Amino acid sequence: MAVTLLQHPLGGTALDSVLAKIDLALDEIVARLTTPLDVAAANSAGDATRSEWIEMDVSDEWGSLQSEFVARGWSDGLLMAPPTAARVAAMVAGCGLPPEQVIGELAPRLGVATVERIATNAVMAGCRPEHMPVLIAAVQIMADPAFFLKNIQATTHPVTPLLIVSGPLAKTLNVNSGSGAFGPGPWSNGALGRAIRLLMLNIGGGRPGEIDKATLGHPGKYTYCIAENEAALPAGWPTLRAERGFAPEVSTVTMFGGEAPHNINDHESTTAGGMLTTITGSIAQIGQNSIECVAEMLLVLSPEHAATIAGDGFTKDDVRRAIYDDARVPMHRFAQKNIERRLWRLLPQRYRDRPLDTMVVMVQRPEDVIVVVAGGEGKHSMYLPGYGATRALTRPVLRPDGSPWN
Amino acid sequence: MKLCSPEGRAFPTKTLKVADRPRSLEGLRIGLLDNTKPPVDKIMQHLEQRLRERIPGAQPFYISKKIMNQPAGPEVMEMLRQKADVVINGLAD
Repeated sequence: MAVTLLQHPLGGTALDSVLAKIDLALDEIVARLTTPLDVAAANSAGDATRSEWIEMDVSDEWGSLQSEFVARGWSDGLLMAPPTAARVAAMVAGCGLPPEQVIGELAPRLGVATVERIATNAVMAGCRPEHMPVLIAAVQIMADPAFFLKNIQATTHPVTPLLIVSGPLAKTLNVNSGSGAFGPGPWSNGALGRAIRLLMLNIGGGRPGEIDKATLGHPGKYTYCIAENEAALPAGWPTLRAERGFAPEVSTVTMFGGEAPHNINDHESTTAGGMLTTITGSIAQIGQNSIECVAEMLLVLSPEHAATIAGDGFTKDDVRRAIYDDARVPMHRFAQKNIERRLWRLLPQRYRDRPLDTMVVMVQRPEDVIVVVAGGEGKHSMYLPGYGATRALTRPVLRPDGSPWN
Repeated sequence: MKLCSPEGRAFPTKTLKVADRPRSLEGLRIGLLDNTKPPVDKIMQHLEQRLRERIPGAQPFYISKKIMNQPAGPEVMEMLRQKADVVINGLAD
């Protein structure tokens, strides 16, 4: 494919200036369409499944060696454990799979994620061997084309995969589902989420500022992992993994491409109606992707908020429906150019030629809302706007013989 | 001491044969594919006009993807395969 580059930005600029850039580029566009292409030579450099072992001076483990990691582009800026043969072997042993086994290819580089390479990144992230089965399932998800990792890695939008562990394994691995689930602590959350980031960087090639074009990104791009607080689920509410078709004894990993968590504070409501008024009102904001395309949204209900809602007989589906029906903003709150260029153009059936008091939905369908209960005591829930070109996917965490890994 | 590289390489790629490029766009059907990211619709309409003015007999035509952030579907690709000699697409925003 021949490429003509137009100078950034195009969005948010006057149309005349955009069209002037086209006129300036027209000669080049025509020339590129009529000039023979230089086809890239086939890449056949070595066996992509074989790990590369590099001789390095490890005498200054926390000094010059770290600089070497940075220079090679392997680092997220924090100290990393050196992936020695012994550490990598121990990490591989944590999942019981052969080191050369290919789990998937991670976009956009389509780097091959072998068990040994996943283990190497896990070592560098500070994981323990027992974390490996979760990482294997996470790589299976990220390698699934339906997850659209390529888009997540390259977009300007602040999206990154949140890893959600559901089931008995969360307790075994000490993945925090309670107080401060999104925050720091002596849990497995930090290392697991960081390993995901390093896998995206080192195998997928999502180097910040180069492939990763995030305008601002968000702190979850360092590490982003929680567990479902199953013990705090209201009676009758299904677990995340049950909603996704898995048996109670099967632990699962779900990955959701989302923004940073946004707080929903309600210390006063004692009814489902009151609580949902606060939740839908908090979600009704005009700057999110799901307004203009099909995009999922994750609602993380605190146990106390969930109990209040369920106490009035409301189900998770009722919550989804309330968000679809009531989390809306009148069109007149949107800037005129966004109405014309986004709402009218991308969703004409909903918004074209409609009056300005038309209510704009925050998700296109109720089923695009994922509801999870997590967190500890207190009256704060959170919602994570989605990105669009990704769907949350769930994989079971299984032993090599196919039995549940708990 | 030897350390394991965390980097993943891609499987070997094959060189695909690409269609020969035309020497001129004169008389050709030029597909203008809208990636749905505003203002690419205006850009493509402008390009359509400029190509008609500039290239004798050129037949530029406009077609749009259905969904932002997702690949053009098989219907769009088939339409381009059948009706376009060359295609101009927009990426990013």
